[in-house]
Amino acid sequence: MASFASACRLSVRLSAKQLRQDATSRGFRTSARSLAAQNFTMPALSPTMTEGNIASWKFKEGDSFSAGDVLLEIETDKASMDVEAQDDGILAKIIQGDGSKGLKVGTRIGVLAEPGDDLSTLEIPADAGPAAAPPAPKEESKAAPEPASSSKAEASKPSSPVPSGTPKKQTYPLLPSVQHLIHEHGLDESAIDKMTPTGPNNRLLKGDVLAYLGSISTSYPAELSSRIEKLSHLDLSNIKIAPPAPKPAKAAPPPAAAAATAPIIEDLEVAVPISLTAVIEVQKRIQSTLGVFLPLSTFIARATALANSNLPRSKTSPPSADELFNQVLGLDKATRAKGFKGNFLPQISALPARSSPDPTKKASTAPAKKKKDLDIIDILSGTTKTQQARAAAAPKPLPGISDSVNVFSVKVPRGDEKRAQLFLDRVKTALEAEPGRLVL
Amino acid sequence: MLRSLSVPRAAVRSAFKQSSSLPKVVAPSAIARLSKRSYATEAEERDLVIIGGGVAGYVAAIKAGQEGLKVTCIEKRGTLGGTCLNVGCIPSKALLNNSHLYHQILHDTKNRGIEVGDVKLNLEQLMKSKDTAVAGLTKGVEFLFKKNNVEYIKGTGSFVNEHEIKVNLSEGGERSVVGKNIIIATGSEATPFPGLEVDEKRIVTSTGALALEKVPESMVVIGGGIIGLEMGSVWSRLGAKVTVVEYLGQIGGPGMDSEISKSAQKILKKQGIDFKLNTKVLGGDVSGDKIKLEVEAAKGGKNETLEAEVVLVAIGRRPYTAGLGLENIGLETDERGRLVIDSEYRTKIPHIRVVGDCTFGPMLAHKAEEEAVAVVEYIKKGYGHVNYGAIPSVMYTHPEVAWVGQNEQELKAAGVKYKIGTFPFSANSRAKTNLDTEGMVKMIVDAETDRILGIHIIGPGAGEMIAEGTLAIEYGASSEDIGRTSHAHPTLSEAFKEAAMNCYSSAIHF
Ligand SMILES: Cc1cc2nc3c(=O)[nH]c(=O)nc-3n(C[C@H](O)[C@H](O)[C@H](O)COP(=O)(O)OP(=O)(O)OC[C@H]3O[C@@H](n4cnc5c(N)ncnc54)[C@H](O)[C@@H]3O)c2cc1C
Repeated sequence: MASFASACRLSVRLSAKQLRQDATSRGFRTSARSLAAQNFTMPALSPTMTEGNIASWKFKEGDSFSAGDVLLEIETDKASMDVEAQDDGILAKIIQGDGSKGLKVGTRIGVLAEPGDDLSTLEIPADAGPAAAPPAPKEESKAAPEPASSSKAEASKPSSPVPSGTPKKQTYPLLPSVQHLIHEHGLDESAIDKMTPTGPNNRLLKGDVLAYLGSISTSYPAELSSRIEKLSHLDLSNIKIAPPAPKPAKAAPPPAAAAATAPIIEDLEVAVPISLTAVIEVQKRIQSTLGVFLPLSTFIARATALANSNLPRSKTSPPSADELFNQVLGLDKATRAKGFKGNFLPQISALPARSSPDPTKKASTAPAKKKKDLDIIDILSGTTKTQQARAAAAPKPLPGISDSVNVFSVKVPRGDEKRAQLFLDRVKTALEAEPGRLVL
Repeated sequence: MLRSLSVPRAAVRSAFKQSSSLPKVVAPSAIARLSKRSYATEAEERDLVIIGGGVAGYVAAIKAGQEGLKVTCIEKRGTLGGTCLNVGCIPSKALLNNSHLYHQILHDTKNRGIEVGDVKLNLEQLMKSKDTAVAGLTKGVEFLFKKNNVEYIKGTGSFVNEHEIKVNLSEGGERSVVGKNIIIATGSEATPFPGLEVDEKRIVTSTGALALEKVPESMVVIGGGIIGLEMGSVWSRLGAKVTVVEYLGQIGGPGMDSEISKSAQKILKKQGIDFKLNTKVLGGDVSGDKIKLEVEAAKGGKNETLEAEVVLVAIGRRPYTAGLGLENIGLETDERGRLVIDSEYRTKIPHIRVVGDCTFGPMLAHKAEEEAVAVVEYIKKGYGHVNYGAIPSVMYTHPEVAWVGQNEQELKAAGVKYKIGTFPFSANSRAKTNLDTEGMVKMIVDAETDRILGIHIIGPGAGEMIAEGTLAIEYGASSEDIGRTSHAHPTLSEAFKEAAMNCYSSAIHF
């Protein structure tokens, strides 16, 4: 239970589109210029998220990251989430450092650059607003003219595979044909960076090297690419709509506005009173005869283990692949009903010795809740950490466990009550009837 | 409403604390039952409802389940997998494979030193083995539904309004589902031939041709496209006299490269299939013992009557949207019945999208599958991707024919300057050792940049080999990139490499 935060940590992978939001919107205004540095804003990790805190950045300024790397951890009031990068890049600048709180979604938190960008010459774009595009740090003189046919819409599409028309550093291994040409013509690395890639996702193709070398027209590879790019889409032009079919007279009723809300799956609690008198007797006996003190936790842990073995299967646990397949084949009825191991961990609380229901003492639920946050093993093994926790939870002289009757309870999803009941009954028998057998 | 029924845990706990008699199980099951019933009447809203459990529908459903969407898939057939698994790709390939084996034992193994006495065809068993393959695969999809938390409703879905779908349940009764998003994936059906009524016994579509009870003595296939040639091959191998009548001037459909198509026709002809190209079927007469088909050679104008025990109508497929209630929500189709979409598969009602055979693009299972993944990504992430320029086509005759990208006649028409490299399987060491040397690899590249524009293969294993070509096109490769990549020896794929080398320099072994 201490690990609540990590248990519900989500991992969020932002699409390039989300990560580059700013760049995208600016891309529309500045046509197809290379956008080297981009503002990275607080992402909305869920539809309802309005603001978040930065727990920590996982990269330092200037570090390169690859697609899939966790860039930073963001906390909201609900959970903490890892933000993964979808593309390779460089963390050019951190604007909101570790521990920054209450950052509205859309607030600039950092600046990202493309892989291979030179940070020393990179201009950091202005924060938000329709600021001018950052001057591209690389020379653009060699840029091939925009393919005549590539429409405005195409040029402004952020993730479009249409070549950008500017030289670009190659981050993938070069194609064999490219490598061969480069060696054949004695070109060096810096020349590669000056070539204009026209392949899918800015890959440098053989034709691009040929164009650079002047053996073919410089604009041809881009023209070819845009022609091939057109083939990659469904042709949805010139659609001729079929004449409408006669409409049925009755008007369709309006959409069911009052759509049902999702069912709330409420956990149920199953509880059984169990006396620890017998256990404590055995405990004393063992100490006096063998000189060994066995903590209560040992008894309860073993009773729990015993009761957990060989339970009927949970109604809510997902069936295994084999079972699902047998189910599909209709073999499930034949091969069912073997014992399953449970993983119940009972909550234990003492029954109030004198049951005097006090309507004003509403507090009874609150401490109970807190107590649940403690691990049973902590409570029972009597570690110092627990002492504190316990003291904090219920500053009473004899909290937690009573020498006589305690309530053992487990929370289960609806449908699993029977299973839980069986478990608790077994624990009860083990602890009340013959606790000695648990440890001897 | 539900909230008031379910007992909050805290309340339960304090309640039982006060009473000293401890209730065993809190929350009587009656409450649970009550709340469940209240749900059955109101349709529950799902993140995604998919109509049709064919390749497009089931792949989208599984993908959506994996993405954590609450997804429901409605299928009326009784089994999942649609045309492809039940009456398309899968059963046809089962028959093609086994009929090829039979044909080979009859005519080929003797040369190889394997003498088999007394070869008999057990058609019933052949069909059974096909049915086993189909059943295994459709059940497999059902299993994947369970595994990925996809709700599967057996029944026919139709739109009540933009969000609600009424399902006529297969087991009787009716039910309603409401979807935030809806995908239409109702697929296609065989286009009927006007004037010839399909009974799936004598006048059959591919569906009937997959389940004939005896080998017909003679069969006329109307339509020399992929499906017609595949089914024609099956029955020809099993002993039927097959004649293919095609209206166009080439077999294999317009996507097949003309040179490859001619070569395929020659090889199939050698196997015993007759072809009548540029020929139009005018009508038929089913009254007699044999079906009589009136045909007219399109150019020569000569009329002729063909006789056949069985006629296979394979003139194409058309989108299937009957009974879907499109009129209730005002969705349009184009004049060929395709549901109109935008580039993100949205209809004019943006939360209703369409993928697979019932919309634009080639009617292929793997195209449907790509779209299914992309459409779920559009719904979930706002971005998806299908490269329609790199979708392979395969005809599973023997030898197979496979291609990706553009063919020579298309490039010629577009005025593109191209270069061609070919390599025949007769010069490939593996094909030689296999005594299976018919066919070739033909690669077409841009004349200036050497970028690959199209790859066309006829030969053994062409359908497997085309994967490499598809990858090359997806990555914008040049023929030299393939030619400089090692291919294992001795394999058929060396022919692929040599054809590439033949584009930018010369093949070594030819
Ligand atoms: C003989 C033959 C061989 C083929 N071979 C190949 C091949 O080798 N390779 C290849 O790629 N493609 C092949 N195809 C094509 C391939 O089968 C289709 O492209 C593919 O099945 C399309 O998938 P789909 O999901 O769009 O449609 P379908 O597979 O047609 O599925 C649509 C499903 O929706 C259901 N449905 C329709 N309306 C409703 C409704 N109102 N409510 C509920 N359910 C509904 C139908 O029952 C059907 O099961 C072949 C086709 C045929 C006929």
